Amino acid sequence: MKILTTVKKVVDVELNIHVENGAIMEKGLQYVINAWDENAVEAAVQLKEAHKAETTLVSLGSGDNTDIIRKCYAMGIDNAIHIDDPALAKADSQIFARVLQRVYEAGDYDLVITGKQAQDTDAGQAGIMLGEFLGIPCVSNVIEIKVTDDTHIQVSRLGDAGTEIVDLTLPAVVTVSDSINEPRLPAMRGIMMAKKKKITVMDLAGLGTSFEEVGGTARKSEIVEFMAQEKRKGGRKFEGDPAEITAKVVQLLVNEAKVL
Amino acid sequence: MDLNPCMKHQLIRKTVREFAENEIRPRAAEMDKGPGFPDDLMEKMKPLHYFGLQVPGHLGGADLDTVSYAIVVEEISRVSAALGLCITVHNSVGIYPILRFGTREQKQQFVPPMAAGESIGAFCLTEANAGSDAGGVETVARETAHGFVINGTKIFVTNGGICGTILVFAVSDSDPGKPGVFIVENHTPGFSVGEIEDLCGMRANPVASLFFEDCAIPADHCLGIPGQGLKIGLTALDTGRIGIAAQALGIAQAAFEESVSYAQARQQFNKPISRFQTIQNYLADMAVQIDAARLLLYRAADVKDTGRPFSAEAAMAKLHCSTTARMVTDLAVQIHGGYGYSREYDVERYFRDAKVTEIYEGTSEIQRMVIARHILTRPT
Ligand SMILES: Cc1cc2nc3c(=O)[nH]c(=O)nc-3n(C[C@H](O)[C@H](O)[C@H](O)COP(=O)(O)OP(=O)(O)OC[C@H]3O[C@@H](n4cnc5c(N)ncnc54)[C@H](O)[C@@H]3O)c2cc1C
Repeated sequence: MKILTTVKKVVDVELNIHVENGAIMEKGLQYVINAWDENAVEAAVQLKEAHKAETTLVSLGSGDNTDIIRKCYAMGIDNAIHIDDPALAKADSQIFARVLQRVYEAGDYDLVITGKQAQDTDAGQAGIMLGEFLGIPCVSNVIEIKVTDDTHIQVSRLGDAGTEIVDLTLPAVVTVSDSINEPRLPAMRGIMMAKKKKITVMDLAGLGTSFEEVGGTARKSEIVEFMAQEKRKGGRKFEGDPAEITAKVVQLLVNEAKVL
Repeated sequence: MDLNPCMKHQLIRKTVREFAENEIRPRAAEMDKGPGFPDDLMEKMKPLHYFGLQVPGHLGGADLDTVSYAIVVEEISRVSAALGLCITVHNSVGIYPILRFGTREQKQQFVPPMAAGESIGAFCLTEANAGSDAGGVETVARETAHGFVINGTKIFVTNGGICGTILVFAVSDSDPGKPGVFIVENHTPGFSVGEIEDLCGMRANPVASLFFEDCAIPADHCLGIPGQGLKIGLTALDTGRIGIAAQALGIAQAAFEESVSYAQARQQFNKPISRFQTIQNYLADMAVQIDAARLLLYRAADVKDTGRPFSAEAAMAKLHCSTTARMVTDLAVQIHGGYGYSREYDVERYFRDAKVTEIYEGTSEIQRMVIARHILTRPT
C-alpha cells in the first residue's frame, strides 16, 4: 500500500503574533508542523509498521520546509516531496487541492491521509476538495483506520451524535481528527537517519503544471485583511472562606459579568 | 565559523525537552526522595534510544554525534540531574570503553542489551584507598586457567543498585603495576551490591558499593589487552567528562531559568526584585558563565567528533561547566531567598545536585592538573 500524507508548515500560535496594517508580520514568527498533520503522519507511520505501507509526505508552500520535513522523517516517513514555489504564497485551499491532485497523479497512491484542518486557517477544505477533484471517496474527521485487505479500509468517523464505521474502497482520502492517535516523539536514531535522507524539492513547473493551470490566476477567493484575536484577559482569583467567596462570585456574575 | 546549532541539533533538543518536560519533570522532585528510577519511566526511554545514544545502528543504538549526545544529557539533567547521571555514566564510561577497546565478540555480546536499556552500565574505579589516585587500586584480578578471579570492594559506584554490566578496574596479581579493565555481569557468582549511599544530591541515582568475592569471569571478559587498564580508564574518563560537563550545564540552565522567572514575580519594596541592580548583576553573571560553559562543552564535543585529541578540551569543559553549576545554583538559592532553601522549590535540589559535578570523574583539582599537563607539554 502506498500512502500520501500532507504536511503544512504553520505559525506557532502559542507565541505572540504581531499584526500591522491588517497583515501578519514575518519577524519573530516561529513555525511548526500543523498539529493535525502530525496526527496524519503518525497514522501513516503506524500503517507502515503494521502493514508495510510505503509512506510519502508532501509539503506545499514557498520557503524552507526542511525542519518540519526532517521531523517527519525522524518519525518514520519514507519519502518527502516539497513543492516550493513562490506563487503558492498567494494560494487558497482550492489551489492547494489542485496541486495535491497533481502530486497524487504523479505517484501511484492507494490512500491519502491529511489532517482535518490546518491550525492557522481552520479551513478544513484541502483534503475534501482533493477527494472531489480525484473523483475518489473522502471521509473526514476520522478517529481510526483499519486495513481490511489490499483494496479496502475501514475507518471510524466521529460525528456529533456518535461514531460512524465506514467501509472504503481504495484509493481514498481520509482527513484525521487529533483524537486518532498521540503523535510519537522521534527516537534518537530516527533524528540521526533523517539527516541522511533526501528531500525532493520542485516548483510547479517541475511538477509539470503551472500556477495558472492549478487555477491560480483565476482565483476566486482572497484574504484581504487579518485581524488578530483579542488577547484573553487574565482571570480573577478569590481566596478565603468558601461560603463568602461563593456569595461574592454570584454577586459579581449578576452585577458585573451580567451572565446570571 | 558557525556557532548556531544546526537543524538536527535543534530537533534533538526540542525532542528531548518535550520528553523531559512531560515525562520526567512531574516526578523529578519525588524521584529525589530516591533512590531508584520509576520502572515505567525507564521503559519509555528505551525505545527512544536514550540508552544507546552513541552506539552504532547495527548494535541497536542511535549513532549520535557527540554534540547531540551532550545536548541529550544537558536536557535530561535540566529536569533531573540524577537521571542525567544515570544516562551519561551508562553511555559514556559504561558503553564507550567496550565500543572503543572491545573485540568484535565483546561488542556483539555486551553492547546490544546495554543499548536497549536492558542492562545498565557502571564503571568502577574508586575504592576506599583510591580516589583521585588510580594507583591506589587494591582490587585484584588473578589470572587462572579459565580466565580471571576478581576480589575487592568498589565504592561510590553510580548506577550501582541497578547495574547489569560492570566495568571493573583491577590490578593483576602478578604485576600490580599493570592494571586491567574487566567486564563483570551482575549475575556472576561472588558479585553483590552493598548499601546505597545516603548522598547530599543526585539522590535518585542508586550510587552504591559493589563487592567482588572470588568473582570468576572468562578470559574474554578482559577489555583490551591485559595491562592496558590505565589507558582504557583515562580514555573512558575523557569521554565521561563531556557527559558530566553537559550534566552540570543542564543543572545550571535549570537554576538560571527558575531565577529569571522568580526575580520577575517576587515583589519587595513594591517592585519585582528583578528591578534591583544587584539581582540584575547576578542574572547577568549567571548568563555569561552558562554561555561560556556551553561553548566550551560543544567545542570539546566537536573536537572529539572530528577525531582529534580532546582530553584537554574535555577537562576544560568539565571544569568550567561544574564550577558554573555550583556558582549558578548558589546564586539561584540567593535570589529565591528563604524559599530557595526550602524543598518546596526546585532550586534547593539543583543546589545539592550541582556540587558533586566538581567531584566525580575527576575533581576540579584533577581537571586543572590535566589541563596544566597539556599546556606544559604541548608545543607552543
Ligand atoms: C555521587 C558520586 C558518584 C560517583 N560515581 C563513581 C563511579 O561511578 N565510579 C567511580 O569509580 N567513582 C565514582 N565516584 C567517586 C569519585 O570519582 C571520587 O570521589 C573522586 O574521584 C575523588 O576521589 P576521593 O573521593 O577519594 O577524593 P580524594 O582523591 O581523596 O581527594 C580529596 C581532595 O584532595 C584533592 N586532591 C587529590 N589529589 C590531589 C592532587 N594530586 N593535587 C591536588 N589536589 C588533590 C581532591 O581534588 C579533593 O579535593 C562517585 C562519587 C560520588 C560522590
